[in-house]
Amino acid sequence: MYRDEEEIEREKMLLSEANSSEYKLSVSPEMDIMEYCMKEWRGNTPAAKRIRKGYEAVAQKFASIRRIRGDNYCAFRATLFQALSQAAQLPRWLQSKDFTMLPENLLSKYDWIKQWQLRQKPGKRMGEIKDEIKEYLILLRKKWKNISEIKGPLEKQEACDKLFKNEEEEYSLYEALKFLMLNTAIELYNADKSGKRVPVFSWLLFARDTSSNPCQLMHNHLNHIGHSGGLEQVEMFLLAYALQYTIQVYRLYKYSTDEFITLYPNDPEEDWPVVTLITEDDRHYNIPVRMCQETML
Amino acid sequence: TAAPRAWPPRRPWLRAGLGQLLARTDTEQRIEIHKLRQGDNLILGFSIGGGIDQDPTQNPFSEDKTDKGIYVTRVTQGGPAEVAGLQIGDKIMQVNGWDMTMVTHDQARKRLTKRNEEVVRLLVTRQSLQKAVQQSMMS
Repeated sequence: MYRDEEEIEREKMLLSEANSSEYKLSVSPEMDIMEYCMKEWRGNTPAAKRIRKGYEAVAQKFASIRRIRGDNYCAFRATLFQALSQAAQLPRWLQSKDFTMLPENLLSKYDWIKQWQLRQKPGKRMGEIKDEIKEYLILLRKKWKNISEIKGPLEKQEACDKLFKNEEEEYSLYEALKFLMLNTAIELYNADKSGKRVPVFSWLLFARDTSSNPCQLMHNHLNHIGHSGGLEQVEMFLLAYALQYTIQVYRLYKYSTDEFITLYPNDPEEDWPVVTLITEDDRHYNIPVRMCQETML
Repeated sequence: TAAPRAWPPRRPWLRAGLGQLLARTDTEQRIEIHKLRQGDNLILGFSIGGGIDQDPTQNPFSEDKTDKGIYVTRVTQGGPAEVAGLQIGDKIMQVNGWDMTMVTHDQARKRLTKRNEEVVRLLVTRQSLQKAVQQSMMS
C-alpha cells in the first residue's frame, strides 16, 4: 500500500498528463472501450493479452470507458462518480436527521478522533475538527440531494461533470466519505467486541498489525488516504459498507480467475445499488459507462 | 480483428434515405416459441438487448433513441425463435401477458427463461418497410 519511489513517479506522470490535457476534469470524457484498450495495450506479453481479454469482457456489458484522475483519491472518485451518475434518491443513511451530528457525537465519545487529519485548505484557516467535518457531510448531502432530483439522464451526467472538476468541493466530498468509513469501522468494531455478528472483512480489517482498532485505522490508514496512499482492498469493503452500495470491480489482471469480477461486499444485500469500476492493477480505478448488455437465450 | 461489440453493428439500410421517404409502419406480431431442451437448459435461440437500466443510444433498432424497450438483437438460424417467426429488430412488448416495456435487462431475461415454461407467447412490434414500398408501387 505504501508506494515506493517508482510508483510515486508514475503517479506524478499520470497526474501531469491528466493536468496538461484535461486539467479541469477529474473524470475524462468517454471513449470506446476497445479503442481505449487497443491504444493502451499494444504488446504481446502474457500480461498485455490478459488485460485485453479483460477489456473485451467489460465490453460485453459496457460501451465506453472514462478515465479517472490518477491520484490517491481515485477509488473514492470512481465510486462516488458512478453512484451520483445514477442516483435517483438519497440513501437511507443520508436521510437520517442525526447525520450531521455525527462528528460531534463521535468526538465526544472518542477523544482520539481529535487527531483526524483534515485536508489542508490553501489560504484558509482550519476550524474545529467537528465543524469542518460537519461542513463536509452537509456538502455531501446537498450534492447528493440535488443530483438525485435531476430527472433527465443527460442533465444528471452534466451535473456530475460539473461537480468533479478538481476543485475543493470535490475533495471535501472524499473527506466526508473517509469520515463515514471511520464511523462504520467503529460500529463494526464495537459490534464484534460485544459478540454480535459482523461481516468477515471486518476481521480482516482489524487483523492488520497497522489497524487492530479504529484508532490505529485512523492514524495509519484513513489519515493517509488521498495523500501518501489509496484504498487497500479490505478498505473497499469498508467503503461499500459505509455507502451501503455494492461496488463491482472488473479486476483485469485477474482475468480467467474467479477474482476477475470482485464484489465489495462479496455477498451483497439485495437492495444495495450496484456501481461498476474497472482496475488493471487494484491501484488505479477507471469507470465503464453506457450499459449495453446483450444476452443469449 | 476487433472483438465483437455488445450490439450488432448498425445496419446501414435501416438508416438509408429510402426509410425517410417512405412511411414506416409498425406491425404487431404474435409469436409462439416452443423452447428446445438442451440437457438441463431450455433454449429459445435468440438474443435480447435493452432494458430500463441500459443505455438506449446503443440500440441500432429503435427509432426513438430514448426507447429503453427490449429488442431482439440476434436470431439463431434454425432455432426455436426463427422457426416461430421472430425477427431481428423486433421489439418485445409482452411475454405471456407480462409487460416488457418497462423492465430491466435482467428482469427481461428472467421472464423469458422461466424453468417451468416450455412455451412463451410473445407480442412484438416490427418496423416494416416492405408494406410501405408495396403500397407506393401500387398507387
